[in-house]
Amino acid sequence: MNLTRRQTLASLAALAGSGLMPSLTFAQDAGTFRIGALNPITGAGGPYGTGMQKMIAAAAEVVNAAGGAAGRMFEVFAEDTQTQPQAAVLAAKKLIEVNKVQAVLGTWSSGVSLAVLPLASEANIPLFHCSGAPALSVAPANEKKLGYRFQATNDRFGRAFAEIATKEGFKRPATMAFNNASGIGNTEGFEKAWKAKGGEIVASVVYEPAQPSYRAELQKILDAKPDVIVMGSYIADTTIILREWYQTGEENTFIMPAWAGNPELVKALGPDVVEGIISVDSISNEGSPAFAAFDAAYQSAVGHPGLTNVYAAMTWDMVTVLALAMEAAGPGADMAAINAKIREVANPDGKQVSSFAEGKEALKSGPINYEGASSVLDFDEFGDVTPDFAASFIRSGEIKREYVVTL
Amino acid sequence: MTGFAELLLSGVMSGLIIGLAGLAVTLVFGIARFSNAATGDTMTLGAYGALLGTTLTGSLIFGGLVGLLAGALAAVLSYVLVFRQLANRSPISSLLASIGLAFFVRAGLGLAFGHNQSVFQLDIVRPIRFLDLRIQPNDLKFAAIALVTLVIVFIILHMTPIGRRMRAVADNPLLARVSGIAPRPVMFTLWAMAGAVSAIAGIILGMKTVVSPEMGWDMLLPAFAAAVLGGIGHPVGAIVGGLVIGVAQELATPFVGFTYKIAVSFIVLLLVLLVRPRGMFGRVEGVR
Repeated sequence: MNLTRRQTLASLAALAGSGLMPSLTFAQDAGTFRIGALNPITGAGGPYGTGMQKMIAAAAEVVNAAGGAAGRMFEVFAEDTQTQPQAAVLAAKKLIEVNKVQAVLGTWSSGVSLAVLPLASEANIPLFHCSGAPALSVAPANEKKLGYRFQATNDRFGRAFAEIATKEGFKRPATMAFNNASGIGNTEGFEKAWKAKGGEIVASVVYEPAQPSYRAELQKILDAKPDVIVMGSYIADTTIILREWYQTGEENTFIMPAWAGNPELVKALGPDVVEGIISVDSISNEGSPAFAAFDAAYQSAVGHPGLTNVYAAMTWDMVTVLALAMEAAGPGADMAAINAKIREVANPDGKQVSSFAEGKEALKSGPINYEGASSVLDFDEFGDVTPDFAASFIRSGEIKREYVVTL
Repeated sequence: MTGFAELLLSGVMSGLIIGLAGLAVTLVFGIARFSNAATGDTMTLGAYGALLGTTLTGSLIFGGLVGLLAGALAAVLSYVLVFRQLANRSPISSLLASIGLAFFVRAGLGLAFGHNQSVFQLDIVRPIRFLDLRIQPNDLKFAAIALVTLVIVFIILHMTPIGRRMRAVADNPLLARVSGIAPRPVMFTLWAMAGAVSAIAGIILGMKTVVSPEMGWDMLLPAFAAAVLGGIGHPVGAIVGGLVIGVAQELATPFVGFTYKIAVSFIVLLLVLLVRPRGMFGRVEGVR
């Protein structure tokens, strides 16, 4: 046989490729259950992603140590979404097609989850995510009801904003929203709740990302003389808007989600500009036994208190809920059967449990209700949960929680 | 009325940044004959260079110079390593290579500086009130820097021997070559200039907004639009094109809202090209 150089190279490449194949052949081992940990390791979600991923691994270890879920051991495949839909789609495809994962856990940012959910649905596997966009609740994105949200919807954030605005006695709110599902979701949720209370919105603006200046947008809002501006925004645009706002000399205050009103914002602008801003975040189910278990695991894996990463508490719960649903569905159950059990093990009217081992034991004698580390974790018909919210105020450059809002 | 004047002002500021980026695009197009998609990321590189320089020296001015040099150096390097190799191929090769270079630069910056935003620590100052108009002192400085940049580019292009040679190459590369104009110094100057201009656009944008690895890439489309609107290859055209786009966007907002202001600038672009397909300042070019 007379090989040309090109043929030789091609066959070498094929050989090298086939070296990767055996891992595929044994993908469907009955003794293991493969989960994809698809988290924002880099990008805007970077501050949370590593902790989220470590908690998926830690919770999977806990499940495995308790004998696995319905006898199956969890195997975790980790990927980075880069907090970007394009990168997330590539990573999700790799997880689903190459690693043959049977569930994808832990996407963050609505754009990412909206891009990944159709891929997961197509493969008939569930996606557990931490994103807020209302569109993730319903068809077409969630047509197969395989998407479960462990974070509050932006709509619920908006309702929390309205509660806080009422409590603080604001009369003339205006809204500014980043033009995407999450940003508009926040301000629309606020508007609905605020109008239901009989309030009025003096001005509202939806703005485009990546503009050199937001002066015109601000001018329209400030002309209406608001006493508070409710933001559906992210960190970069918030930085630009607040800088330009401060330079106008107006003295209203702001209510914004915590992914915009965070320490990085304080660092970027200095304490004077951000003084008095109200930063709102959903909070973990602090004080629950599940949170204590998560906190211990987080401390040992990351070295910070579990309070610093609400999303890691969510990913911890994702693994636990999945394992409990598998346990309830019994050995050898397919994904449809497992999916049918998710609400059953998490929602009320069962014995309250706080860990996988406890739930596994209790399942032998009847229904259970997992009370999670991130919230009491009761899924509504859309697969959404309702956590509590905290209102934190920025004073002298420190972000301090002042009260909790329960919807 | 003040409302309109303030919109006009903010449009001019956006327009100057778009125009500077457009100028960098048009300079490269005029002489190297392809659309350089790495322009946006050269802006980003300049902004990070300035950030680094400012942190090291503690002075915004020195920092800015470091950014400027970084942009110029990166552009010259990109010519030496990439575009010179492709000079004899079709412009599509260079265009595609420039997209790849853009990805490379962005990924490199992300790796080196992370994806979180950084900011220039500028003093936050109250605006100057002039005839009931709020004018930002910083904006005045940025506008001055932009104008000085323009003047320097024009002096180089129109009053120096190398500028004359550059214009000769832009006009007719073959004729320039047979007239004894060596291409290498021309290309080096061109790339250094284009890189420096991009860096200045990036530094101003970074000072007005925040610095992140994606910032320049996001400006690429408006920059191309400015270059096309002005008449591609025409330096004054790029600046005027940028200003038209910036001002049209802002002035349209009371009528179309903020979501569609970007669309308005492209409608302006369409209309101008319908009436003058060669752009506002462009010349009709024959097929070579």
